[in-house]
Amino acid sequence: MSAPSNAAPSNTAPSNTVAARALRWGPLAVFLILLIVLPLQLDKVWVNKITLWIPLAVAALGLNLLTGYNGQISIGHGALCGFGAYATALMINEWELPFLVAILLGSVFCFAVGVAIGLPALRIKGLYLALVTLSFATLFPQLIEQFSSFTGGTTGLAVTSPQEFRGAIRDREIKFQAPEWSGLADDQWRYFLFLALAAGCFVIVANVARSRVGRSLVAIRDNEVAAEVSGVNVATAKVFTFGISAALAGISGGMIAVYNARVTSGSFGLALSLAILVAVVLGGSATTMGPALGAISVSVFETVIKPELPKDFLGSIDLQPATPLILGVLLIISVLVAPGGTVGSWHHLLERLSHRSPSPTEAPNPSE
Amino acid sequence: MSEFFQFMFIGLGNGAVYAMIGLGLVIIYRATGIINFAQGEMAMFATFFVWTLTEVGLPLPVALLGGMLGGAIVGTLVHQFVVRPVGNPHEKPLAVVIVTIGLFLGFNALAQLIWGTEGKVVKPLFGNGEFNIAGVPIDHQKVGALAVLALEAALFYLLFKKTKIGLAMRAVASNSESSGLCGVPVNRILMIGWALAGAIGAVAGTFMAPISALDANLMQGPLIFAFAAITLGGFDSFVGAVVGGLAIGVLTDVVPKYVTFVDKMPLAPAFVAILIVLLVRPEGLFGTKKVARV
Repeated sequence: MSAPSNAAPSNTAPSNTVAARALRWGPLAVFLILLIVLPLQLDKVWVNKITLWIPLAVAALGLNLLTGYNGQISIGHGALCGFGAYATALMINEWELPFLVAILLGSVFCFAVGVAIGLPALRIKGLYLALVTLSFATLFPQLIEQFSSFTGGTTGLAVTSPQEFRGAIRDREIKFQAPEWSGLADDQWRYFLFLALAAGCFVIVANVARSRVGRSLVAIRDNEVAAEVSGVNVATAKVFTFGISAALAGISGGMIAVYNARVTSGSFGLALSLAILVAVVLGGSATTMGPALGAISVSVFETVIKPELPKDFLGSIDLQPATPLILGVLLIISVLVAPGGTVGSWHHLLERLSHRSPSPTEAPNPSE
Repeated sequence: MSEFFQFMFIGLGNGAVYAMIGLGLVIIYRATGIINFAQGEMAMFATFFVWTLTEVGLPLPVALLGGMLGGAIVGTLVHQFVVRPVGNPHEKPLAVVIVTIGLFLGFNALAQLIWGTEGKVVKPLFGNGEFNIAGVPIDHQKVGALAVLALEAALFYLLFKKTKIGLAMRAVASNSESSGLCGVPVNRILMIGWALAGAIGAVAGTFMAPISALDANLMQGPLIFAFAAITLGGFDSFVGAVVGGLAIGVLTDVVPKYVTFVDKMPLAPAFVAILIVLLVRPEGLFGTKKVARV
């Protein structure tokens, strides 16, 4: 573990490194620029539609931390989003909190829920944890209906704030108003607020993942006993990860609540949980940008491609269910052919191009 | 009191269906170590085969046999082309979960593509009549479900205990590598397991469909109940699947009627059962205790 062994591998020519760097950072830069430029160019309807990838990306970020890095499988993150959404909605309605504060407090609430789930999850592992969380995802809409007195049940709960309307102050659905200095339309303002919130989450998680804590999470995933004897406090780390992951899902749920200005039990069922899982896997589990890419591809399928499909193909065939079919097939192909998802495959490709042995996702191997 | 018995018999009848799905799950778990999250959707798909055959004009029992054959073919294809290439589920639990979730999404969407989103009517296999025992009305269909479950359980017992294929299946479940070295055609045996699970799904679906209309989401609730059943009974126990299925059926039909706190949550008792069993006794009532060497 001496200092020289950590220096750049000598077999890599400098020009090669520059090229490799461009290939590594180039797509990321283009991606980030697109995220900022596109909503400025598109018209209102499209800005509205594409805004929804952001909450999905934040939920996927949370699931990626839990499942991708830490190896605790959850198929119930849709329900955690639901907790966040209802907490946010109730705080805005009852306490008249500003929505950003409500979203953040909602995520604190979800952290507590996550810790409460994380504790029994210490004893339930692998496939069995997947089973429990899947059951919970299916149970959640029923739970909301059971307590319909304050959740609104299937009709849902409008997220309102007192606003001036026809000369009187009344409770009206909350609205986003862009401040004048920004020069943005209201929808664009909302998009960029969400984007900023999501960017904050991504930066925090990326830093955590690269830190000592992140490495201990991966160690637990790969071999729990080995991690334990290496001095990792496995129980604390796992429960804490569940909490953080749930908090991110909570932020995502809060965004969904203020975006729709309404929360309904149907929005946080199994379908959402599966969408989050699909986003993580297709984007690339245990990668920094994977959840964002995955969330974008899932929302492109759901909000862009699906409505364009004909409902009366060849006379009577409704082609709209084709999108989950494509996602399901992609999921299976991804596991069989590209377990690292989009980002993992890209890294793999870069490695083969530059003939370097250490992969960017692994810690550099000191040559002994 | 007679009301209580009525709920209980409804529960037993529904529980028989959960037990059937559970039997399919147990076969696959024993053979390949996989909890098949797509089991319910495969059963739904096979039930659509049954419905299609009745539309063609076949009587329901014949259509059911055809649907079982279709389900077996689906199971075989799934094993050959999707599950086998993934590899060992104990080394890569996430990969297995994701693949079966992919199957779940795929079958659900494919059924909607082929058969549409409108609910289809499947007639009850044993008609609409009911027995009347001491003032308690009991549907023929529920008694029929219990009888079919008993038949399935007996056939499974004979298959596993008295036939060469059953012996090979037990050998593969206990140690697939060694049984392969002894000349057991491991892959073919696993394939038979998946085919059996697919076939039994058609039966479960045909009993489920008359209760709610047959659509792509037919089996999502029952699948959770079946998970609760095999968790309670033990993931690798056929007896457990039957006992667990009946117990969960009674639990989910009786408890919400009397406990107002969960009257809109039929899934709640099942979920609580799953959680408690996994925490307190992970091997379930009849399952094999797992001993891990570290």
